[in-house]
Amino acid sequence: MAQELTFESVDCGDVLPEVKQQNSQELTWKHAVASLDYNPVHTNPEWCKTAQVFGLPVPVMHGNQTMSLMCKVITDWAYPVGGRMKRLEVKLIKPVPVGSICTYGGAVTEKHPIGKGQDFVTIDVWAKNQDGEQVGVGTAQVLLPK
Amino acid sequence: MGYLEEMAKYQKTEKQKSFSANFLEPEQVEDYEFWDAIEIGKETEVPIKFEVKAEDMMAYAEGVPDDNPVFYDEEYAKKCGHDGLVAHPLFGTQVAFYVLTKGHGSWIRTPGARNPGQIIEWYDPIRVGDVLTIKQQGYDKWIKRGKYYMRYLNETYDQNGTLKSRGYGTLILPRTKADVLRFLKGEHALQA
Repeated sequence: MAQELTFESVDCGDVLPEVKQQNSQELTWKHAVASLDYNPVHTNPEWCKTAQVFGLPVPVMHGNQTMSLMCKVITDWAYPVGGRMKRLEVKLIKPVPVGSICTYGGAVTEKHPIGKGQDFVTIDVWAKNQDGEQVGVGTAQVLLPK
Repeated sequence: MGYLEEMAKYQKTEKQKSFSANFLEPEQVEDYEFWDAIEIGKETEVPIKFEVKAEDMMAYAEGVPDDNPVFYDEEYAKKCGHDGLVAHPLFGTQVAFYVLTKGHGSWIRTPGARNPGQIIEWYDPIRVGDVLTIKQQGYDKWIKRGKYYMRYLNETYDQNGTLKSRGYGTLILPRTKADVLRFLKGEHALQA
């Protein structure tokens, strides 16, 4: 599919392949190291027992980790053909405790035929937890080649 | 083994190894700007610069984790139509945390902060060798349902003055320095 993906080949309503991840404290620690966001709400289980920033006694995933995995839906789909993200707007709805199993997905909602190198599509993106609850929603604009 | 030692096992890059991972050091708080004192409209060019190395870009993708080869293999990325190794779209997170450690902009590190959402616009790809600078602006602050919100605007430029990205981030913050100090001690200090 990736080899054939072009701006012309995409239709509104196309659904992007989902990404699923079983999170863990180890993965969130690795994300803290990668992003340099060592906020204890993500990294320090002992501190979280009492600080309870989100009303939970456990660490939660970084919001930007959730956003990065929402991006992965798009980068898996568009980057192998030279596509590139142009804009992303995300609302993070619910905290995601470490250890959650989340699914990330997206669907094309708009096509913008602006001109060569500027054509882009709009994609509704979302993240759901293992209970099917939305934890993040947003829209992305993605430049696609002709 | 403590949580800091656990994370130290994963530090690979020069920047990761030199960056202080302990966000609960009380001395750091002396350099923070608190919700009460945030000056809306004030723009600051952050003095610390971020020189982009391939290892920085790859390390961010590894930490997502995202194994797409465009983030690790320059030749593959070029075959795909990119002009070099690709930075993960959220790579700017690493840049922001590396440079925004004090004063205006330190809000992103505040213990007790919550992240309800962001808007990011990309204008030019980040490339290996870029030297990035962030211009930071307090954009808005408001109180809603007892929570203390603020929105900032980050603009990232390269060494040629090219705008790479613009990000509007929203945070819910502890209101005062006293609230942040309570969080350092592990007490909950958000009003709502």
